[in-house]
Amino acid sequence: MSETPSLWRIDWRLARGAIVREAIGRFFSLCFLGFTLLVILLSGAGTRYLAGRYAVTAVLRPDVSSAEAVGLAKKIADLPQVRSARYRDPEETWKEFLRAYPGLEALKEAGETPLPGTIEVRFRPERFNGSDIGVVSTALRSVSRVDQVLAGEEWLPGLLRAGRYASGLCWGVFGVFLLGHFLVIRLQERGRAAALAGDFAFLAERGVPQRRLSFSRAAAAAAAGGILAAAGTASGGGACVLLLRELPFLEGWIGPPAALLAPRTLAGAALFVLAAALLSGAASLLGFRAVRAGGK
Amino acid sequence: MTPGTRPLSALLAAVLVLGFLLPGSSPAARDVAAELRREKGMLLEMKAREEKTASELTEALRKEKLAKGRVGELQERLRRQRRVLAGIDRRISSLNERLDRTEKAVRELEAAHGKTRDDLRTAVSAAFSRDLPGGGGDSLDPSARERLRYLMRVHLGEKIRRFQQIGRARERKEEELSGIERQVAVSERKMEQEKKVGETLLSRQEEERKRLAGIEREKKRKEKELKSLRARIARMESVVSRVERQVKERERRARETAARRGKGGASAGPGGTAPPAPPEAPRRFASLEGGLAPPLKGKIVSRFGRQHDPTFDVTIENRGVEIEAPSGAPVRSVGRGEVAFAGGVSGFGNVLIVQHGGGLFSVYGKLESFHVKHGEAVNRGTVLGRLPESPSGKSVLYLELRAGGTAIDPASAVPFDR
Repeated sequence: MSETPSLWRIDWRLARGAIVREAIGRFFSLCFLGFTLLVILLSGAGTRYLAGRYAVTAVLRPDVSSAEAVGLAKKIADLPQVRSARYRDPEETWKEFLRAYPGLEALKEAGETPLPGTIEVRFRPERFNGSDIGVVSTALRSVSRVDQVLAGEEWLPGLLRAGRYASGLCWGVFGVFLLGHFLVIRLQERGRAAALAGDFAFLAERGVPQRRLSFSRAAAAAAAGGILAAAGTASGGGACVLLLRELPFLEGWIGPPAALLAPRTLAGAALFVLAAALLSGAASLLGFRAVRAGGK
Repeated sequence: MTPGTRPLSALLAAVLVLGFLLPGSSPAARDVAAELRREKGMLLEMKAREEKTASELTEALRKEKLAKGRVGELQERLRRQRRVLAGIDRRISSLNERLDRTEKAVRELEAAHGKTRDDLRTAVSAAFSRDLPGGGGDSLDPSARERLRYLMRVHLGEKIRRFQQIGRARERKEEELSGIERQVAVSERKMEQEKKVGETLLSRQEEERKRLAGIEREKKRKEKELKSLRARIARMESVVSRVERQVKERERRARETAARRGKGGASAGPGGTAPPAPPEAPRRFASLEGGLAPPLKGKIVSRFGRQHDPTFDVTIENRGVEIEAPSGAPVRSVGRGEVAFAGGVSGFGNVLIVQHGGGLFSVYGKLESFHVKHGEAVNRGTVLGRLPESPSGKSVLYLELRAGGTAIDPASAVPFDR
């Protein structure tokens, strides 16, 4: 067995320079893909931004005290769909109103009834959907202290539809990038297989099965692809963290850096690494077969 | 007793003297009698004038009292009128204050109404502008825009409600203002009417005062006239008294002459006349034969001497007394004597005078009828006449006693029932 050459590392021994170059290229490609994947995962493909733009406003009755309103806001915040529930007292509501209509400062008269207090309810990005919003809105309308619920029924379906379109677009773009990455590495594998075709023929003449050779090379390529994908994803995550630290306003779009360690994100990253490994292995196998079938 | 008592006494004295002098009088005596008749006539005339003047004075006093009553009543009505006017004036002042306050409130409401209208316009303009002036917070935040639109609706609703509320309050205040103005107009009309009434009352009061002044002038004139008449009557009494003394003096001289002739006749022959009787000395009523009896049973209602007359507020001299007795009661002679006079005297009705001799006379006035005649001798208790009938069942007898030309108190000489 000692005389049997190691098929796992045959490419490394036969074309070390090309392997290094290809590995560097694939790493950066996977860095980009990993970064893109993490951004899409964190932002929910635009859902986080839309969820941040949307809020259900519960307008309280004028006779509701601040203590009651704060208690009600706390109860609403405890709902699983709700990310935050913020109480605005009448004075704060009036200030917000004046910020929007700065010319109306002088219109408030002594003794005039102020604007009502409100509770602004915002949803978790992952629960930002029609059914969860409907559940929360219905629950708010059943509360006696709530006078009116502003849930944007007129424009919410459009917003959700836009979210779906944005999500599809993001994942589509990512898929294109991934496909491009696959095509590139397939070309690399084919080119390298063509370059090493004489060596592979020599081995075949000495009794090394072509099938074994192709699978060994594919396994080695998958392992290398997985490692590179893991490294690239980690690097992409690091880049994402750096980006969010440097440009905090992007958190509204992407999400907080801490969300990178969320199980959902980690699972997504693991799936990506696995997919990258499979794609590398597949590209190696397809490139080898293409060389054997077509000569060059 | 009326002020005509004194002239009556003088008249009676004069009549008595005439009664003595007329039979067997000389020419000089006849002159005196004529003078006495003349004086009597003048006295009667003056007495009639006095009575007329007294009656007019009484009427003037009655009118004065009525006029004073009317003036007092008008003054009371004027006081009430002034109170009513003061009340209306206070009400008008109060209404004017309310009017000022309400006008001020209306002006304030109008200003507030205008300001609210401007605010509403501004808010509507801001609400319907294409973009929120302040950007509406995040322009990509539809929830914030929705909330702000809702708040604007609430704000506009509040402004509209406030605008309508102020408008209604202003309308109410304007209605109240109109009501107060109507009340002020009504009160002012009422005040004008009351002022006219007050002016009428003042005018009437002034007329009554003038009338009262006229009555008072008339009263003073009558009082002066009455006083003058009384003075003239007193002088007339003095004249009559003087004539009476003259008559007595002539009578005494006649008796002396007769006595001397008697003496001459006696010395001339044995068939001469008897010497003349000495003159009858004046006697007292207490020394009359048989004493004195009351003329009738009754109550003295007017006493002898100086008495105060409340009607004229003067002090008068009563020469006799007035006795109240049942109507138609017989009047009897107080003593023995002879009827010296029976006739009518103004103010005393039918008067009868009995001469008791010795300068004593009893006078009975206000009789209805005579039962004796002139010159007839009467005894004590003889019925001289009767008192007149009266619806009240009571009549009054005037009784005067004279001794030597002087009136004496009948109550001191006649034993009246006490």
